[in-house]
Amino acid sequence: MTTLTTDNLIIDIPGRAPGSPLNLEVQPGQVWGVLGPNGVGKTTLLHTLAGLRAPHRGEVLLDGRALGSLKRKSVSQQLGLVFQDRQDGFPATVLETALIGRHPWLSSWQMETGEDIAIAERALQALDVGHLRDRLVSTLSGGERQRVAIATLMTQAPDIWLLDEPSNHLDLHHQVAVMRLLSGQAEAGRAVFMCLHDLNLAARWCDHLLLMYPSGEACWGPAREMLVPSALESLYNQTLVTVEVDGAPVFVPVRS
Amino acid sequence: MITVVAVLGLALTASVSAAELCATDALDRDVCLPEPARRVVSLSPGATELLFSAGAGDSVVAVSAWSDYPPQAAELPQVGDSNRLDLEAIVSLKPDLVVAWTDGNSRAQLDRLAKLGVPVFWLAPREFEDIALAVETLGRLTGHTPVAERTAAEFRDGISTLQATYRDSAPVWVFYQVWDQPLMTINGDELISKAIALCGGINVFAGLPRLVPRISVETVLAADPEVIVTAGRGDSDRDWLASWQSYPSVTAVARDNLFLVSPSLLQRPTFRMLEGARELCGILEQARARL
Amino acid sequence: MPVSDIFRPLVVLALAALAAMLVSVSVGSADLGVADTLSVLVGGGSELHRTLILDLRLPRTLSAFATGGLLALAGALMQVLLRNPLADPYVLGLSGGAAVGALLAMLAGAAGFLISGSAFAGAMLATLLVFGLAHGSGSWTPSRLLLTGVVVAAGWGAMITLILAMSPASRLPGMLYWLMGDLSHAGQPWPGLAVLVLVCLLVFPLGRSLNVLARGSLQAAALGVSVRSLEWLIYLVASLLTATAVTMAGAVGFVGLVVPHMLRLALGNDQRMILPACALAGGTLLVLADTLARVVIAPEQLPVGVITALIGVPTFLYLLYRSR
Repeated sequence: MTTLTTDNLIIDIPGRAPGSPLNLEVQPGQVWGVLGPNGVGKTTLLHTLAGLRAPHRGEVLLDGRALGSLKRKSVSQQLGLVFQDRQDGFPATVLETALIGRHPWLSSWQMETGEDIAIAERALQALDVGHLRDRLVSTLSGGERQRVAIATLMTQAPDIWLLDEPSNHLDLHHQVAVMRLLSGQAEAGRAVFMCLHDLNLAARWCDHLLLMYPSGEACWGPAREMLVPSALESLYNQTLVTVEVDGAPVFVPVRS
Repeated sequence: MITVVAVLGLALTASVSAAELCATDALDRDVCLPEPARRVVSLSPGATELLFSAGAGDSVVAVSAWSDYPPQAAELPQVGDSNRLDLEAIVSLKPDLVVAWTDGNSRAQLDRLAKLGVPVFWLAPREFEDIALAVETLGRLTGHTPVAERTAAEFRDGISTLQATYRDSAPVWVFYQVWDQPLMTINGDELISKAIALCGGINVFAGLPRLVPRISVETVLAADPEVIVTAGRGDSDRDWLASWQSYPSVTAVARDNLFLVSPSLLQRPTFRMLEGARELCGILEQARARL
Repeated sequence: MPVSDIFRPLVVLALAALAAMLVSVSVGSADLGVADTLSVLVGGGSELHRTLILDLRLPRTLSAFATGGLLALAGALMQVLLRNPLADPYVLGLSGGAAVGALLAMLAGAAGFLISGSAFAGAMLATLLVFGLAHGSGSWTPSRLLLTGVVVAAGWGAMITLILAMSPASRLPGMLYWLMGDLSHAGQPWPGLAVLVLVCLLVFPLGRSLNVLARGSLQAAALGVSVRSLEWLIYLVASLLTATAVTMAGAVGFVGLVVPHMLRLALGNDQRMILPACALAGGTLLVLADTLARVVIAPEQLPVGVITALIGVPTFLYLLYRSR
């Protein structure tokens, strides 16, 4: 299993002063949540961690080896990403979409085997979209597409799962199902690192949190240490009321 | 085709104000001039040649592009390409006659000229006789009847002589190549085809519906002409003829009946066609000998 | 996808291609029966029939096949490159560059090989021009490439009009036929066929990477594709294919747009199947279109580009209408 670390990483957001350096250590078995207001660079951070964007300064390391020194193919075997925006210029079925997750594991001349298809089908079942396997992705609802995207990552089966707002478009039941699946993956030894806009989902399901402030400051650590009402209030510039329900804190914005 | 409606007073001297000078053009329009034209603009290379043949060369004040014959025509000011004319330049020359050609000049453009009061006379020679008549009419409209009638008579005589000479010659099947890419020929309505007929030849593609049809090599092989004639790209360029050598099954190739004609003689329906027809008849005579 | 699922449609398309070629060499303005054609193909027949079929029709049929295959393959690649199913091989102004090259050669009175060579040089110049301009200060996105290509194509269009306006009337038919796409110019089919086969072999191992790239460059990068170098490669290969096709037959339209689109509707979008299928179906389409061009008003000839447009436009509109 792989550990993702960052060494004095400053992400590159054009037209913005560099923020404070990040020294994260995302270990197998951990579930990380990234919180922060809109436009603070959460997506940019995920893309930088995945090696899709050059950092402003510092480095991203996989098991101590710099991301830039690794081949893209071997990176994609260890690390995968669910994007917030998806492009479907060409029609593709749900199964075909999930199957592209096998790309890092096949050589140029190899065709997908029955085993690859079985892996993809299991992932689709796990995300409750198995019955849609022959539908065109473009005909699905937003929530169904989101689950197909997560199933694609599951088919890719990397050690480190990066997800950009995985709860987007999902109804309550599927939000919980996806979060349960992600913590199950973490228990199996994978690391999950996701941006969330829902504070309470993060409080409920994450064991580590990274708070990104508009000023460029950031702090991170175990969830229980980070879930301080005053820190969260300044994060969102919003007064909060805290209650405890079902063993976890719940934060509710004050009405006026 | 071109009928003279009224011809009066041409024998009188120019100083005497003549009655109106009228002629009907190829569009069946009557064009009338108060007196013989002294400032003529020619809008096609063919019209330029016909005007010079009519003895009106000195009255031509401007010509269209590519008017290269007779050589003094090339020195005259130009008023644009025949299908893209500079109307402004034409009007500012104050012509008292403009000669246009139905193949090439634009009706819409020249109708504007007619509306501005400039007389436009249209030509469309399709037969040898049309050429002679056109020269005679242009001669009358420009006050050069004696010269025009003399040259027209020479042309008519030349054509009848050829006709008489080759009337009973053995027919030969001729393919006339206009261009190579795309491969183009002429049908029976084209004057060159009539020149071929004059010399006792038969254009193998005379029956096609379009004036300048585009055909394939295969069609030529199937038609199996006995003679292949072309002007090439000009400047005695034998490339096109050489490319037929790869088809020895064609009679013309087998008998070495591949001939170049002078490109300038046959390309325009003018008096030079007579010379071109004589050359062509000579070629077909040579070809007959080899069959 | 199992290998047999890929090969079954390709075998069907290959048989269709062979049938189309047989029709094409049997039909022409000279009247030959199928029996005559077959006897020539097995080595018999009269000298005239041998000339007609082996020297005239067969090279032209093979040229048509190569041209159609090259254009359809180039179209499919351009569509993946630009992530736009409506892109065609000419969208980046490549045919404009080739046309300017060819027309300038014709204007100068050149013939044969000089026209082809000049067209090829023009196409490659257009490729480098668009790529250099789109590359600019470093950012390089499909939309920027597309925009650059469209504007450069407009520039070529203006130059073509200028050349046509300046040309003497005797040169115009040749120029117009070239612009419409015409196979009577085509010389030897072998260079085109060789490029077609080589590129099919080259793109097959790239097929799955192209499938991933069709989902967007970020997604492809996240799945381990070297996006930048793959895009470079596709661009250069598609340009080479188009330049070869344009050099053989002028600017034949619609094959590169319609064929990949129709095949995607029928076979899905697995590039490992679509790309070779495009080569076969594009070739077949152009062979049939050229056969029509030769016989519709026989013995007169039409430029094949007219036929592909006449077939392509309504087919494409129908498919668009249906897919709504």
